[in-house]
Amino acid sequence: MNSQLLTGNEAIALGIVEQGCRVATAYPGTPSSEILAGVVKYKKRLNRDVYTEWSVNEKVAFEVALAASWTGLRAAVAMKQVGLNVASDPLFSAAYTGVKGGFVVIPADDPGPHSSQTEQDSRLLALTAKVPVFDPSTPAEAREMVKDAFELSEWFRIPVIVRPTTRLCHAVSPSDVDESSTSGEAPSAKFQKDPTHWTATPKLRYKLHTELNQKLTDIAAEFSNSKHNYIADAEAGGGVGIVASGVAFLTAQQALTELGVRVPMLKIGTPYPLPTSYVESFCALFQTVIVLEEPDACIELQIPNRDQVRGRLDGSVPNAGELTPEVMFSILHKVFSEAGIQVNASPEDGELSAFIKTLSLPVRRPRLCPGCSHRSAFYSMKRTFGPRAIYPGDIGCYTLGTNLRAVDTFVDMGASITMANGFFQANRLAGDERAIVASIGDSTFLHSGIPPLINAVHTGARFVLLILDNHTTAMTGFQPTPANDYLADGSEAPRKVSIPDLVRACGVEYLKVTDPYEQEDFTEILKEAQAYAQSPEGGVAVIIADRPCVLYDPSPVVEEPLPVIVTDECDGCRFCTEVFECPALILRPDGSRVDIDYKICIDCGQCIDACYKGFIVPKVAEVAA
Amino acid sequence: MTSTSTPELKIVIAGIGGQGIVFLTRLISQTAVNLGYRVVVSETHGMSQRGGAVFSHLKVNGSDAPLIQRGSADLMIALDANEALQNMDYMRRGGTVFVNSKDGLRPEIAPHLERLNIRVASLPASAIAVELGSAAATNIVMAGFVAAYDALNLPLENMIETIKQAASKGAERNLKALEAGFQAGQRQIESAQKIPSE
Repeated sequence: MNSQLLTGNEAIALGIVEQGCRVATAYPGTPSSEILAGVVKYKKRLNRDVYTEWSVNEKVAFEVALAASWTGLRAAVAMKQVGLNVASDPLFSAAYTGVKGGFVVIPADDPGPHSSQTEQDSRLLALTAKVPVFDPSTPAEAREMVKDAFELSEWFRIPVIVRPTTRLCHAVSPSDVDESSTSGEAPSAKFQKDPTHWTATPKLRYKLHTELNQKLTDIAAEFSNSKHNYIADAEAGGGVGIVASGVAFLTAQQALTELGVRVPMLKIGTPYPLPTSYVESFCALFQTVIVLEEPDACIELQIPNRDQVRGRLDGSVPNAGELTPEVMFSILHKVFSEAGIQVNASPEDGELSAFIKTLSLPVRRPRLCPGCSHRSAFYSMKRTFGPRAIYPGDIGCYTLGTNLRAVDTFVDMGASITMANGFFQANRLAGDERAIVASIGDSTFLHSGIPPLINAVHTGARFVLLILDNHTTAMTGFQPTPANDYLADGSEAPRKVSIPDLVRACGVEYLKVTDPYEQEDFTEILKEAQAYAQSPEGGVAVIIADRPCVLYDPSPVVEEPLPVIVTDECDGCRFCTEVFECPALILRPDGSRVDIDYKICIDCGQCIDACYKGFIVPKVAEVAA
Repeated sequence: MTSTSTPELKIVIAGIGGQGIVFLTRLISQTAVNLGYRVVVSETHGMSQRGGAVFSHLKVNGSDAPLIQRGSADLMIALDANEALQNMDYMRRGGTVFVNSKDGLRPEIAPHLERLNIRVASLPASAIAVELGSAAATNIVMAGFVAAYDALNLPLENMIETIKQAASKGAERNLKALEAGFQAGQRQIESAQKIPSE
């Protein structure tokens, strides 16, 4: 037994492994990505036989794990919150059919949002799907809740959600890891046919629905005795009480210390189904109760009588955004002041904060890395098609193409292709023939791009599709895709799936695989692709921009470096810094010229094309001259 | 065993994606854990790591809440001078800022720092790291610098032990960087003592 620093995600992973889970699946997405990586780490350390899989998408991940549960094994599936949308179809169905082995679903929410297209609350999706939820505050509690979730799932034969949020996923605290522990005899898979559940027809589904409702009533009763719901600082008096869950519970505790106030706080670890009578008996003790939860109102919504309850629904708590320490402090400051309770002023020095805003400090927005091949592809694309073309984009590192005005839309995974399809049809009705050039990454194409491509081909849409194939899922930490030759645990993949073969099989007749670093050739191919798309026999033209991510596999650049210098003729016109936007190209503070930051430059030489005046040149050429 | 023999400490660690903020945070927090202190850290992951602003919040023997409230941090370690300014409103009155910079912070901020009694200690850690042959060790040079000021209540020997424990391939480089930062810090403290104060 030793004490190790674990992130919330690692603590969840450890919980999964030590509870004897046998099948764990996931699709990567911030803030959840390190959960499956953690399962791989701990299954090796604890010497457990766990099948782990980076699935092609969340629906697939959910169903693979669900089948394992139906054989009686414990199974878990992890994803980010918007991934649960993708997996919502089986989630809703599995709530009815129930499960056999403990089945734990872990969707990580992103209040803020920090790295997501929505701030949605997975607890509310769970409420709609009728699936119980645990809502942890700390890494240690998340690990404990994974255990309780498996047990609850087996007891009531129902999928159970453990819902962490970004700050918990990325919180780090010490946990005891017992590497010598064993799970005892692991059950072996034994699927028993059961037409009343596993193949339930609509008539039986009605019966399953009533059964599900009964389960929820029983679980709510069970939750009213759960150790995860308790009153902190019960002996403190006053007319105000707090109900809080998740990270908001901890942030509220911290704010109380800063405010110099003590009030009773009901901590809710099981927000759905809410043990309402337990919560109501707490609320009855106070004139005012404030509910603090993220990202939306789940607990608050379930409190039947909200006469004295304040929260997201009545505007006492902002109805969007993270409950940061500052937001939390100001919410509670107002509530207590209004209740006539003396509180400390904010420790923040308003004068200093205001002054910092006047400093016009550089805004460090995320940018594509130095040497990123996406930048080269986007640069050629913009040069070829100009500002009038429509550029539907997708979800991944290359979403940052929006900085280069090379991404005009992103909606969700795979939408670049469907949006291009829709733009084409809408523009066609208006007689508008402008170019439409969509971009999507390899992992995202495999996740959700194939049905859209089939649809576009079949309906005769005409546009250019760039599949930016950097050989990995780069944004979330280099998870393998089905096009890689290895699996989640590093073992060799039995088969690789070929992206070009898939594209051809979708019916695409124009396909070129090319290296975006060869910008001249790449530009020619872009022109050719557009000509094909608009020709009488044309359709969707697909270009696979094939070049590994420089962080994942720098070897092609290392083997053929092309160091550059900026010549003295540079006049600081900003074209390269704004249109090419490589972080290694630095405009001097006085705007006089651009320098190269050799600390981060990787000698890819791609910026030579980014100075149309010819002031960025290969280093060797300069020496020779 | 959790020890409470060190006071509560709230530390902001700030910089830019790629500067090794997460590694520096882990070095400090693991050392604190080894000494038996309670530690809670909040890290930045995801999109911001692509060249964006990156920060960690680290609490020793404090609240379990992952984030520090503005106006309450005791210490800041900044690997970039602009990020030090960007995060300055996290500092409490009387706090201390350690910044990687060859010429301190922009002078305009000085009146505010004086008013709030916030001290700034700066070190050209990037240049020192480059001299050692590895710009990537800037973060560890800063760790040594902070250790010289004894601001973390974490003895240098314990940090050395943490680096050795990790047994990573960069361990030797990191030990050199830690030592270089520590010595630079000590020289700075000594020369400050020689100059009689006003």
